[in-house]
Amino acid sequence: MNIDIKHIAKLARLRIEDDQLDKFESEMQNIVGMVEKLPDIQDEMTLDPDNPMILRKDVAVQDKFTRQELMQNAPQVKAGCLVVPKTVE
Amino acid sequence: MELFERNACDLSEMIKNKEISSAELTKSVFDRIKAVEGKVDAYLTLDEENAMKKAAEIDEKLAKGEELSPLAGIPVGIKDNISTKGLRTTCASKMLGNYVPPFNATVMNKLDDIVVTGKLNMDEFAMGSSTENSHFKPTKNPFDTERIPGGSSGGSAAAVAAREAIVTLGSDTGGSIRQPASYCGVVGLKPTYGSVSRYGLVAFASSLDQIGPLGMCVKDVAMVQSAIVGHDKYDATSSYREYPDFAADLKADVKGLRIGIPKEYFGEGIDPFVKQSVMNAVKELEKQGATVKEISLPSTDYALSSYYIISSAEASSNLARFDGVRYGFRAEEYDGLVDMYERTRSEGFGDEVKRRIMLGTFVLSSGFYDAYYKKAKLVQKRIMQEFASQFADVDVIATPTVPSTAFKIGENTDDPLKMYANDVCTVTVNIAGLPAISIPCAYDDKGLPVGMQLIGGKFTEQRLLNTAYAYEQLVGGFKMPEL
Repeated sequence: MNIDIKHIAKLARLRIEDDQLDKFESEMQNIVGMVEKLPDIQDEMTLDPDNPMILRKDVAVQDKFTRQELMQNAPQVKAGCLVVPKTVE
Repeated sequence: MELFERNACDLSEMIKNKEISSAELTKSVFDRIKAVEGKVDAYLTLDEENAMKKAAEIDEKLAKGEELSPLAGIPVGIKDNISTKGLRTTCASKMLGNYVPPFNATVMNKLDDIVVTGKLNMDEFAMGSSTENSHFKPTKNPFDTERIPGGSSGGSAAAVAAREAIVTLGSDTGGSIRQPASYCGVVGLKPTYGSVSRYGLVAFASSLDQIGPLGMCVKDVAMVQSAIVGHDKYDATSSYREYPDFAADLKADVKGLRIGIPKEYFGEGIDPFVKQSVMNAVKELEKQGATVKEISLPSTDYALSSYYIISSAEASSNLARFDGVRYGFRAEEYDGLVDMYERTRSEGFGDEVKRRIMLGTFVLSSGFYDAYYKKAKLVQKRIMQEFASQFADVDVIATPTVPSTAFKIGENTDDPLKMYANDVCTVTVNIAGLPAISIPCAYDDKGLPVGMQLIGGKFTEQRLLNTAYAYEQLVGGFKMPEL
């Protein structure tokens, strides 16, 4: 099977350099070859009864962190906001 | 005997009885780190100043007669994907090279009176089996520093073996606690999925990840497990239940224990010495009153493929958050938003992480979802059913932890599939959400440790720990490497 590395890279927001394409493709082929050996099982997917996953209420958490604490790791900050490249013309 | 050579359970008593102070113990561990870290490279970040401060605080509290936890004042190393407030947490990635968490993982809050020595090396984002995928440096196996310590919690296992920490925390998605524990001759426990909170563990594959302890003896591992286990409202997959005090309830008794030996784990590809060593260990347990039975887990052959599909799919989604906007690395030069994302991610992630994101993106992409992801989830269900039906007849399943002893640094880096084969005995446990422990059971002709894996039904950690403890008592404890 042909794997369109450039297309997958685009979906994953990764850039694979041209000289790396072949290497990536053959490694991916090998991995896909391994996973293609999986059997066809006629069954339905079900949730794990031991882990019912009770979700917490969808309420905003307030006062847990200061704005400054949350932004201390941001690569670029200006006037208390995250700086990103222009997204609208 | 130096303080750093002792076990946490003894040191805990010594601190409580005021025979030693936490400050003396912490200094002993940092002296040890200074002596051997150059050979082992277990740590990415050391935090001596805060560790000494914390030790002094604990000593003061004890002097005042305050009631503290059994691990109070014990120097513990933490894998670098567990968030530690104010202490750099990199996941061994360039992407998080300068990241300092503004909050603690739940396990860190639960262990609030330990002394944190520092943050331990790992494969980048826990993806790997040798710690060679760390962006910063490879860690070396203390039994032979030309060899890998295993991975992804390679720093956590090597630090325990080299006595650069008394106990450590690791995380296990496909074997990442048990496999390095096996290679480094220490004890490592992967708890039942849902028993230890994942809040603050940087996610790799959320449905498989679990934090767990590594130590030089079974009791130390039991002590840490008792401290970290329990429901957490910040983790929706966390189970509601009561847990025993694993260390206090430890019993070296295997009378009547039914041990299953799955033939699929002793087949081709497993080193004959490893097979023999595990079987010898099982025979020792049999002499103590356990019964042994051959069993079959026929879908084992499909576990590795199923694991790589599920874990990579989840990874591709979890790692989408690293976009150079809110935290972490951002590429210096770019032209527009999409270019910034692509350059940031391409420069910030290493090859193995990119490979898994690509594989995950592929298996989830339009037209391939049913053929790969859905198929893998159905195999997962079947593997769970096979284990559940075997646990009606046996209490514990014994297997090798890894197919061979530790390989040389650089030996498998060019072949991802060969590297993935390291996880063949451990991934099934994550796929099925079960607990498992790895304990040393032999040393090969080069002196390298062999690990035995004991797998149990969900939430049977106490039985696994008791079985491991019984074996440890029989052999009189595990060897420390000479460094």
